[in-house]
Amino acid sequence: MENSKRRFLKGTCALFAGATGASLLATVNASEGAKAESDIKYAMIHDETKCIGCRACEVACRETNQVPEGVSRVRIEQTGPFGEYPNEYYHFSRVSCQHCEDAPCVNVCPTGAAFIEKETGIVSVNAWKCVGCQYCIAACPYKIRFINPVTHAADKCDFCRETNLAQGKQPACVEACPTKALVFGNLKDPTSELVQVLRANPTQRAKVALGTRPKLFRILAKSGEVIL
Amino acid sequence: MSALHFDTLVWHWPIAIYLFLAGVSAGAMFFAVLLKHFVLKQNAYQSGFIRAACIVAPVAVMAGLGILVADLTKPLDFWKILVFYNPKSVMSMGVLILLIYQVFMFMWIGLIFRKPVDAWCESRFPIVLKLTALLARFEATITGLLVILSLALGAYTGFLLSALPGYPMLKNPVLPLLFLASGLSSGAASSLLGGVLMNGKPNDKEVHFIHKVEIPLILVEIVLIFTFFMGLVLTGGQSKMAAFNALGYGFWGWIFWVGIIGLGLSGPLAMNLFMTTTSKRKWAYVAGTACLSLIGVLLLRNFILYTGQMTIA
Repeated sequence: MENSKRRFLKGTCALFAGATGASLLATVNASEGAKAESDIKYAMIHDETKCIGCRACEVACRETNQVPEGVSRVRIEQTGPFGEYPNEYYHFSRVSCQHCEDAPCVNVCPTGAAFIEKETGIVSVNAWKCVGCQYCIAACPYKIRFINPVTHAADKCDFCRETNLAQGKQPACVEACPTKALVFGNLKDPTSELVQVLRANPTQRAKVALGTRPKLFRILAKSGEVIL
Repeated sequence: MSALHFDTLVWHWPIAIYLFLAGVSAGAMFFAVLLKHFVLKQNAYQSGFIRAACIVAPVAVMAGLGILVADLTKPLDFWKILVFYNPKSVMSMGVLILLIYQVFMFMWIGLIFRKPVDAWCESRFPIVLKLTALLARFEATITGLLVILSLALGAYTGFLLSALPGYPMLKNPVLPLLFLASGLSSGAASSLLGGVLMNGKPNDKEVHFIHKVEIPLILVEIVLIFTFFMGLVLTGGQSKMAAFNALGYGFWGWIFWVGIIGLGLSGPLAMNLFMTTTSKRKWAYVAGTACLSLIGVLLLRNFILYTGQMTIA
C-alpha cells in the first residue's frame, strides 16, 4: 500500500509539473502579445432621443452583410405607445451586439471561433472555426447571437468589420440612419465625435452589473415606461 | 410560455441527456474503483457489478459524446473542437478532461480484466502480455488519476452550465457540486442495475457497500439542492425570480417536487433506511431503487437545464 501510494504521488507530481510548465509558457507568450496594445477601440452610441424607428438600419445591415431572412444582426425594439392623444409616442431601443470588453461569448467558445479583434476591440466570429455548439448563444446575456441558416455558424453584429469598415466607410446602420441617431467611432481618440458625444451626454449601458463592460452606449429618451 | 419551448431556450434536452450520461460514466468508474479497493481486492473482474460498471462507463460516455456531436449545427466539423483549444472555455477544458478520462478508463478496465485477457492472449497475441505488464507497473498512478478525472468529469457537467452569466439560476457555484453528487449516485445506481441484470446477486457484499455509501450521498444531494435554491432566493433580483419560476406551479414544479424530490431522492432514501445494511436484499428491491435514482437524476438534469434558461439576467 505504501509503495503504491508513493508511486501514485510520483506519477501525479510528474504530470502536474508538466502541465504547469506548459501553462506557464502559454501565459508568458500571451503577456508578450498584450504589450503592444492598439490605439483603436471602436464603440457605438444609440441616441434614443433622435431615433424615429424607421428601421433603415435593419435594412441597410441586411443588405451590406448579406444577412439571410429570418435572422438579424440589428433590431429596433419598439415599446409603447405612451402618453395621451394627441401627444402619443413610442420608445425605440437598439438590440445588437454590445461588443463587451469581457465578452462571455468569447470566454466560453471552445474553439476560439468567437474572438475579440486585438487591433479594434470588435467582438467577431470566425465562421470557419465555429462548430455550432451554441454555447456562445447561451452565454450572451444580451441574447443577440444566432445561428446563420446559410453558414450554420454563430453570427452577430461585427460593426461591419468585413464589409464597410474594411472599405474605410462607417458601419451600414450608421450611414443609413436619417436622423443621425447612431454615432460610431474610436473610444481612444479624444477628438472623435463619439468621445465628444459621450462627454456631453449622460449615457447608459445594458446589464453592466454582470461585469461584461459593453461598448454600446445609449442616450435614453427621457420619456417612456417606468420599470421598477 | 410553454414549458418545453420558449424564446430564451438555447440548449434543449439532448444536452441534458449528454450531461446525464457523462455523470453516469464518471460515477460508475468512481464506484468501480471504490468497490475494487475496499470490497473485492483481487479477482474483482468476477463481480457482476464491476463488469456492469466497466460496460456502462465507456458506453455512456461515448453515447453522450455522440449525442453532443449530433446536436452541433455542423456535426462534421466536430474535429475542430479537438484541434483548437481555448483555455478560458469550460467546454474546451471539459473536452480535454473527457479525452484523458477515456484513456485512463480504458487502461484501468484493461488492468481489471488482466487475468482473463492474459490467459486468452498468451498463445495468440503474446505481445499483449507485455502491454498489460507495463500497465500493471503503473496501476497505482492510473487508479489515482482515474479517480481524480472521474470527479473532474462529474463536476465539469455542472461548470459547463454555471459558466453562463446570462442565466442567473445557472450561474450558481453550487451547481457543479450538485451535479457531481447526483452524477456519482447515478453511476452507483447504473452499476447496481447492470450488476443484478448480469451475474451479480442482489445480496452480494458489493450491494451492501454501495447502499451504505448511497444514504449519505442522497442526504448531501438534498442539502445541495436546498443550498442551491436558498442561494438564489437570498441573492434577490432576477436570481430570486428564477428560483420562484422554477419551483412554482406548472409542469416543471411537478417534475421537481414529484419526480426529483419524491421519486428520485426520497424514494431510494426511504427504501435504504427501511432496509438496514444487514438484512437480505431481493432482486426487485435493488433494481427498483436503482431505477428510481436514475430517473431522478435524468429529471434533475432536464429540470435544471430548462428552468435555468427560463429566466434571464
